[in-house]
Amino acid sequence: MMKRILFLLFTITQFSLLAQTTISGKVTDSKKQPILGASVYLEGTYDGTSTNEKGEYTFTTEETGTQTLVISFVSFETFVKIDDVSKFKNLQVKLRDDINSLDAVTINAGTFKAGEKAKVTVLKPLDIVTTASAVGDVLGALQTLPGTSAAAEDGRLFVRGGNAEETQIFIDGVRVFTPYSPTPNNTPTRGRYSPFLFKGITFSTGGYSAEYGQALSGVLDLTTIDKPDQEKTDISLMTLGVGLGNTQIWDNNSLSINTSYINLGPYTAAFPDRNNWLKPYQAASGEAVYRHNFKDDSMLKVYGAFSYTDLDVIQDDINFEDGFRFGLQNRNLYINSTYKNKFGNNWKIESGVSFTNDNSTVKIIDDVVNNTENSAHFKVKIRKQFSSRFRIAFGSEYFITDFNEDYTPVNNQKFDYGFNNNLFASFAETDIFFSKNLAAKIGVRVENSDLLNQFTVSPRTSLSYKTGKSSQLSLAYGQFYQNPSNNYLKFHQDFKAENTSHLIANYQHTKKNQIFRIEAYYKDYKDLVKYDSEIASFDSNFSNNGTAYAKGIDIFWRQNQKIKNTDYWVSYSFLDTERDYRNYTTSATPNFASAHNLSIVGKHWVEKWQSQFGITYNFASGRTYTNPNEPGFLNNKTKNYNSVSLNWAYLIDQQKILYFSVNNALGTKNVFGYNYKNTPNTNGNFDRQAIVPNADSFFFVGFFWTISDDKKSNQLDNL
Amino acid sequence: MKKVLFIIAIFIATGISAQTKYQKGMQKAFDLWNQNKLTEASQLFERISKAEPENWLPAYYAATVEIISSFGVKNETVLTAKLTKAQEFLDAAKSNSENNPELIITQALLNLGYIAFDGQKYGMTLSGKNNMLYAKALEISPNNPRVILGKAEWEMGAAKFFGKSTAPYCDAIKKAIELGKAEKVEQEFYPKFQLKRAEEVLQKCEG
Repeated sequence: MMKRILFLLFTITQFSLLAQTTISGKVTDSKKQPILGASVYLEGTYDGTSTNEKGEYTFTTEETGTQTLVISFVSFETFVKIDDVSKFKNLQVKLRDDINSLDAVTINAGTFKAGEKAKVTVLKPLDIVTTASAVGDVLGALQTLPGTSAAAEDGRLFVRGGNAEETQIFIDGVRVFTPYSPTPNNTPTRGRYSPFLFKGITFSTGGYSAEYGQALSGVLDLTTIDKPDQEKTDISLMTLGVGLGNTQIWDNNSLSINTSYINLGPYTAAFPDRNNWLKPYQAASGEAVYRHNFKDDSMLKVYGAFSYTDLDVIQDDINFEDGFRFGLQNRNLYINSTYKNKFGNNWKIESGVSFTNDNSTVKIIDDVVNNTENSAHFKVKIRKQFSSRFRIAFGSEYFITDFNEDYTPVNNQKFDYGFNNNLFASFAETDIFFSKNLAAKIGVRVENSDLLNQFTVSPRTSLSYKTGKSSQLSLAYGQFYQNPSNNYLKFHQDFKAENTSHLIANYQHTKKNQIFRIEAYYKDYKDLVKYDSEIASFDSNFSNNGTAYAKGIDIFWRQNQKIKNTDYWVSYSFLDTERDYRNYTTSATPNFASAHNLSIVGKHWVEKWQSQFGITYNFASGRTYTNPNEPGFLNNKTKNYNSVSLNWAYLIDQQKILYFSVNNALGTKNVFGYNYKNTPNTNGNFDRQAIVPNADSFFFVGFFWTISDDKKSNQLDNL
Repeated sequence: MKKVLFIIAIFIATGISAQTKYQKGMQKAFDLWNQNKLTEASQLFERISKAEPENWLPAYYAATVEIISSFGVKNETVLTAKLTKAQEFLDAAKSNSENNPELIITQALLNLGYIAFDGQKYGMTLSGKNNMLYAKALEISPNNPRVILGKAEWEMGAAKFFGKSTAPYCDAIKKAIELGKAEKVEQEFYPKFQLKRAEEVLQKCEG
């Protein structure tokens, strides 16, 4: 008995000695260069080693039968081979580049990204709120990027010769129909939504993905925060008003609320501007985001925002002796809900719904206009990753807009009018990485508009090639359609969609803390709306005969920390554009487009004073206006626009911040254009009035206090 | 009877030898670590973690080595690759040991890797997260010296940034040292309190 067992034991030991197998081979990259330090092992066992300088590896194992050999190394795709263990001898393995790694090519023509997820960020999260001219507004910060025109009296995004309506804004991929707060003439607007709730920004000035439609010039997609860090309460006291925010987290849920009340009354009383305010500008707004994480990584977000704006003002106007009265009441409700989930083998589904209800009552002199817009957007997008080198995305969306307006002229009866604009769209797109150095995105979008009874097909494509270790070249082409603006659709519906094509070439060079990019583009507009009256109305004769072009060069340069504690960036845009649209009598450069735009933004942190100082310089060359005393249309140019803005954020302690900012600190008298009198004076000349900002300079003081359990966080990120 | 005893003996022997394999592997990995062969150490921890898919310790150490070796890395591609890998190990460890304070503070350390690399880019979102992580770890395990030390060190960094006194944290460090000395580690290869490091931190705090 004993003997037998001993024998058995002996045989087992023998057997295992015999069964020791040597595994060996060599690991190289795609250029046959040996890889040092790659991990080579049999999965599920302790047996393995690292490759040496020659990329070689050798180790022994007692495992037998079918085994899985794994070879992995950072920034390469992991190699896996399942075979009999005896076959893993002198195995020559070429690891493929991991195209997800940071140094791989990115498809980026036309697009700027901000946020930590982006491979190349042009704006850091803090920048939105520490840029001197931005005053905490996302739109203000984006206006320091190339491709935008400084229309300081308007505040909306004017992208590459397109007017503001040509840029669409999305939250989590779902459309925002009325993104801008209403303001009187020559007062810049702000985005309705506070920057605190967003973690990432994608701003595209052309050539964007087939996922986005109904935008001729630009797309801005804001991504809300998935999971807030901690429970806290934020209190803001500002010269313009007060703000209160609170975040609660429980189980897999979180709720963030932000409210604010702005009243310009005290400010304009202390520093009168050029207007006569009957009722000061006041705005109350509230936002809430609810997020729920499900067990399986899926996520539901519901975002809601409500705002109410009210003002009544008399503005100087050369054609109205008693001034031009403009009163406005606006209420706006926006709800956006998205749901993300994964299923099957690398499939992802994202769905979203948004709903907007916007009501404005506008008093123009003694006439009253009241309009209501109800809009909704439904969207489903499915993505599938076949491999890290090949992905597809496709989806469908439906837009509904119901617009109604009534107009009551003084001492006259009311007119009612409106329209329904429903649009169905589908898109499909594929990303192909041929190698770490060459990638393409090819997509197509189809849209069918009920209102215009039109079906459109827009191809989109872009290609990127890595020309060196830190540089890449990209090309993009796309066709874009957009229904005419509500301003025309409410009077006339027999239109075609306006359309344009973009052709873009981009070169980018990035190093740590340094980005240089230059982009050239050409845009060719067709089927723009034209009409023959001074303002669009029922009496106008409308057509789709308008055309336009825009071409230019955008340059961006950013360097961080090269000078200690200092970040700066420079944006320059050259724009050559002419339009023959609206009621233009001939093709001309529109008033909002400047040929040269320059922004220089700098920030410097002084540790000793716990302060961040910021400066922004904006320059824009003169803008066109029509001088009726001379022949021609848009025949003159204003002087150049110059503005220097400064800010100072002082961290009193970890939870209290004092913030000062001044826009146009030097008080430069900027002119945006001229208003001419309708009738000539006794000499036969038309008198004029300069269109100027309501106040040359604007300053802001705020105190921000965060209360949280750990007493550590502050609203630096809010500034 | 003999037969039974013998069979039992074999069972025990095999049991021991299986354990020894783990012990041997872990010991070897620690040796590599001590010899500063970080790549090899991390790779061995990785192999052990895959072979022992229900034990959180090897994955915890694989993550820790990757995180520690990421400090001082200048190239963002390498840094992101390292920390992404560390995150995978940490996630694997977490799935075996929920609400483990050791893993929570390691997550905070991983976040610090990003913050140390580019405070402006990552500081805004990650420092709030770290505050929460330390608070949570302390709630679960109020007398864990590693948690107390990690939290104090993190808060010291913030206080220094704001030019505040670091004195309030020295007591916490002292307490951690005391607790660390008295701590009896029950599980083999359970994270140990690094007394020498703690004393260095205390010196910085008082100095």
